[in-house]
Amino acid sequence: MTRDEVLNDLRARFAGDILDLVEKSPKRVYIEIRVESIRDVALFLFKDLGGRFNTASGVDGRSQMEILYHFTLEDINLLISLRVRLEKPNLEVESLAPLFEAANWVEREIHELLGINFKGHPDLRRLLLPDDWPRGVYPLRQDYREWDPEAIRDRGV
Amino acid sequence: MALLYLLAFGVVLTATLGLLASGLDRKVTARIQYRVGPPLWQPFIDIVKLLGKENLVPAGASKITFFGAPLVGFASVVLVSTLLWVNNLTPSHSFGGDLIVVLYLLAIPSISVMMGGFASRNPLASMGASREMKLILSYELPFILAVLVPVIKTGYAIRLGDLLGPQAQNGVVAGSLSGVLALGVAILCVQAKLGLVPFDVAEAETEIVSGPLVEYSGAAMALCKLTKSMLLFVLLFFLMTLFMGGLRWNGMHLVYGLLKFVGLLAVVIVIRNTNPRVRIDQAVRFFWGRVAVWAVVAVVLAFLGK
Amino acid sequence: MGLKLAALLKSLWVFHLSTGSCNNCDIEVLDCLTPRFDVERFGILLVGSIKHADVLLVTGSANRKSMQRVKRLYEQVPKPCLVVAIGECALSRGMFIHSYNCPLPVDRIIPVDVYIPGCPPKPEAIIAGVLKLTAKVKGRAR
Repeated sequence: MTRDEVLNDLRARFAGDILDLVEKSPKRVYIEIRVESIRDVALFLFKDLGGRFNTASGVDGRSQMEILYHFTLEDINLLISLRVRLEKPNLEVESLAPLFEAANWVEREIHELLGINFKGHPDLRRLLLPDDWPRGVYPLRQDYREWDPEAIRDRGV
Repeated sequence: MALLYLLAFGVVLTATLGLLASGLDRKVTARIQYRVGPPLWQPFIDIVKLLGKENLVPAGASKITFFGAPLVGFASVVLVSTLLWVNNLTPSHSFGGDLIVVLYLLAIPSISVMMGGFASRNPLASMGASREMKLILSYELPFILAVLVPVIKTGYAIRLGDLLGPQAQNGVVAGSLSGVLALGVAILCVQAKLGLVPFDVAEAETEIVSGPLVEYSGAAMALCKLTKSMLLFVLLFFLMTLFMGGLRWNGMHLVYGLLKFVGLLAVVIVIRNTNPRVRIDQAVRFFWGRVAVWAVVAVVLAFLGK
Repeated sequence: MGLKLAALLKSLWVFHLSTGSCNNCDIEVLDCLTPRFDVERFGILLVGSIKHADVLLVTGSANRKSMQRVKRLYEQVPKPCLVVAIGECALSRGMFIHSYNCPLPVDRIIPVDVYIPGCPPKPEAIIAGVLKLTAKVKGRAR
């Protein structure tokens, strides 16, 4: 299947779920989909089209958070990024960990750094932050403030 | 007190010569690698520095074995060097069977390294010590077979002193075919005994952390390093006595003795610098396979008189 | 200057401790041992075990997880021991000064003797730093 065939097939199959499809360059496509349909689209890309799940990235905007799931279709040299917008304050999305194992650690990292809850994740605990990091403090959010009284933030010059 | 005199001879002179030999080893290695190396007296400075450091014992390790292992190794090397010096200076003072005593005593430094490794309560040390154990089991047989060749060629003499006389008269053992073969086998076994590349799999395999010596610090470490340097000198001196006629004290022969020693040291250093490290199973297969076969061939040739 | 200190300065055994660096400073430290800069002529050897070390070469900004380990490692080194901080991250956390994961610079965790700036410092700078270390220890002993 060529690139155009793949995109037209996606547009046809998930017409109700896709909100926007931006073809940024011949190799990159950004597809924005609804929050509820992430699992179906991801499963289709993974199983039927044979795409490889690269990683997921999270962004904190002013009033919303976005998660981008990146899938690669290596045969036709195409990188599809699925964008999911989450409105604050309900930051919840279905977890992709039961579908493929690669999403397990990625979602743990997004959860501990941005505070997005993944429903249905089998093991949502800390990955990178130390054990004595306070609960409920998410470092990569825009409204993160220094909570540690012993931290030294000047160079002393 | 002849005994005390000779022990001081055996300790002080052997320590000096051994540390100089290992300093020469480091310098030549550096030159081969196209760089300037440390000065020749660097190992002396290392030992003095190590004596000034703290002695730390890991929690749960048995103190007696931990500190006793380097002492045992040091003591056995001192005894061997005393025996060798006595036999080279006054060959008539040797007693019957001292060759066998020397062979037994030479196995002890490696065993003491192993003991120290097992007493350290550290998984890396245990791994290094178990590799050392396998290595000992593999090179002892060819070593003993190689030592059998000069015994046969000098008329079945078991005293160390009696090995030197026939060599002075009929020519050194290394001049014959079986002698050369046995000398080659013995040099490979010495390389493994000293823990030098290509057979340093016990000590530096976990090259990031140095094997059985990983938990040693301070005076115990100084003793381990000193034992290793003295063993370098003692083993090459032993090979010189067996295969090349030893050290004779009249005039020109002193210089010849020095040249023989430096020649053997050069062979060891060159083998050390031009070879990669082998794995433990490759080393064991090498010693039980090819080296043992060569040693047996050398013994058979010696029997046939070649 | 006592014999102990003189022997220590002529035969420094170096242990390399990276507390979460990008490994650039580590590569420059290993460069010092290559034939071009050859730091072994001063008697400096790279050792693998912390129990054999005289000098700790610390690189990287200490993050929260490695802070505890660095403290424990410093206690395990047999004294006398010297600490050298190499690279901007070890001096004052460099560009990570406002990071959430690096609260303290390395010299608030363990006492540091010599600082070598640079990102990464050239091997010449590292050798100059080591010589400054020997000069400082000699001066302190006098």
